[in-house]
Amino acid sequence: MNGAEAIVQTLIHHGVDTVFGYPGGTIMPLYDALFDSPIEHLLCRHEQGAGFSAIGYARSSHRTGVCIATSGPGATNLITALADAMMDSVPIVAITGQVPTGAIGTDAFQEIDILGLSMACTKHSFLVTEPETLCQTLHQAFTLARSGRPGPVLVDIPKDIQQAIASWHPPLDLVANNFHPEKVESDNLHKALGLITSSSRPVAYIGGGVGMANATEELRQFLNITGIPSVCTLKGLGTVNADDPSYLGMLGMHGTRAANTAVQMCDLLIVAGARFDDRVTGKLEAFAPDAKVIHIDIDPAEVNKRRPADITFHQPMQWVLAGLSTHLQNNEWADYCQQLKTEHQWQYNKPGDDIYAPLLLNQLSQRLPDNAIVSCDVGQHQMWVAQHMTFHHTHNHLTSGGLGTMGFGLPAAIGAALARPNDPVVLVSGDGSFMMNIQELNTIRRRQLPIKIVLLDNQKLGMVRQWQELFYDGRYSETDLSDNPDFITLAHAFGIGGKVITHRDEVTCALDEMLDIEGPWLLHVRIDAMENVWPLVPPGASNHEMLEKSS
Amino acid sequence: MSFQLQLQCHKQPDVVERVLRVVRHRGFTLNTMSMTPSNCGQKIELSMTVSSLRPAHLLITQVQKLHDVVTLRCIDSQTDNAAISC
Repeated sequence: MNGAEAIVQTLIHHGVDTVFGYPGGTIMPLYDALFDSPIEHLLCRHEQGAGFSAIGYARSSHRTGVCIATSGPGATNLITALADAMMDSVPIVAITGQVPTGAIGTDAFQEIDILGLSMACTKHSFLVTEPETLCQTLHQAFTLARSGRPGPVLVDIPKDIQQAIASWHPPLDLVANNFHPEKVESDNLHKALGLITSSSRPVAYIGGGVGMANATEELRQFLNITGIPSVCTLKGLGTVNADDPSYLGMLGMHGTRAANTAVQMCDLLIVAGARFDDRVTGKLEAFAPDAKVIHIDIDPAEVNKRRPADITFHQPMQWVLAGLSTHLQNNEWADYCQQLKTEHQWQYNKPGDDIYAPLLLNQLSQRLPDNAIVSCDVGQHQMWVAQHMTFHHTHNHLTSGGLGTMGFGLPAAIGAALARPNDPVVLVSGDGSFMMNIQELNTIRRRQLPIKIVLLDNQKLGMVRQWQELFYDGRYSETDLSDNPDFITLAHAFGIGGKVITHRDEVTCALDEMLDIEGPWLLHVRIDAMENVWPLVPPGASNHEMLEKSS
Repeated sequence: MSFQLQLQCHKQPDVVERVLRVVRHRGFTLNTMSMTPSNCGQKIELSMTVSSLRPAHLLITQVQKLHDVVTLRCIDSQTDNAAISC
């Protein structure tokens, strides 16, 4: 067995059945070993596409995603995807080829110091320099990627290490992960219960960490038992049952007025798997000014980072939420939040014949089954998806939250389609984002993946244009995309059928047609170039200072 | 505010680079640093003084997350009191 074959054996040991990548010189031994292995390799058309596909695979299936690239440009092309996985805490193992050990540091062909480049965008990275450490290093990479707060780990493997004689062995250090609460932790629980029972206006602020901790059911039980009103972050969408009457929607810059108002008024914020992100808090000093804070997060670095907490928990989310589940009598506050929710429901009755993207997305959402996966890109359409579509689990909503990476959506949808082949996958993209990884349409063709693409085309870099209109005196610098290609012709070139719609009365038939078609499909939706995302908390403002369309 | 960090780390070629990157990125200035091998030969001892307007815990919790950092002790340079250790 050589090193490359040992790598494949290690991947199999960790349950990897699908990997995403692109071959090249220094990773050829591994591709040779993959050639007749049981692992399915999906050839993407750019290493960034492979990285995002691994993210889509991981996020939609709660498994570790694996991507592979060669040295030099192959490795640097992975960087953006690794940074995305780092910001959104996605377990990824990235394997890169490296020039032979003797050539490292000589500026060899396709040599780059990916270990150094990856430090800021991975949980950890390894350079394997001895064949006997190869398997143990890969075992460590899988353990690290999943442990604690998940994240990406990179393993850089020189070509001679892949070719050297190696032996496979199982992980050396099997660590038991049983949690047994000690007295101090139980005391903390009692203190938190005291805060909860003595509060009169509590709100639960839910982030993506709950789903990652496999604590969605415990969270729903906690909300059900306590009756505490809840709000979600972008990445938390799907954690709270959409039918929960006390759920107020997304908070933050493009959150609902009900969610932001309730948070601003609350006297206790129970924060679960969230990190007071600047897009959530607005002006930090004015965020939930009267609230005490109970912060539950596995990462100690996120607690007291942007907002001091009164009580903190780093213990397993399931244990904490179960311990905090207590019946409360607080009908007045719950009724008030309900009133906010009713008063500020979304309105879809925009006059005119133009296609109104929020309405279209709501109509699409109503047509999708609960197990549908929606991947989206970054920009106005991303916020409309978050506002107007309903999710039943965080695994069903793929969005680039922390890094905000345009070009995420298409390859992430591909990864999800491979992870969950029996579930429908829809990509909602914008004309700016779509062009950033357009080459991955060929990956769809390669596997005939039945991904439905809804392209909301305003011929603008919409979110930047919106900010230029509102905050830069309408100086529209480089946000015009009216020279876009003909997207339907483009899709046809990749063997994907499609249709253009421009009027509102075409929407429902076009959505039904798209969802009825068996293979991939592009629905090209022309929308008003000047449409904005509302409501909006302006930069530097606090969350109760939301702008509405009429302001 | 200035304080001293005393770290024990696995002896890996990249560990100092990782620690220094976190110090810089999290908004702290490195003032002094020394490194010595530990007695067992498999670890190194790093001692550094850093300063910032930001509170020490914002750096310490990030450094503690580094895979090759084994122990960390923080001493307030003004009072010589151990602020945080792990």
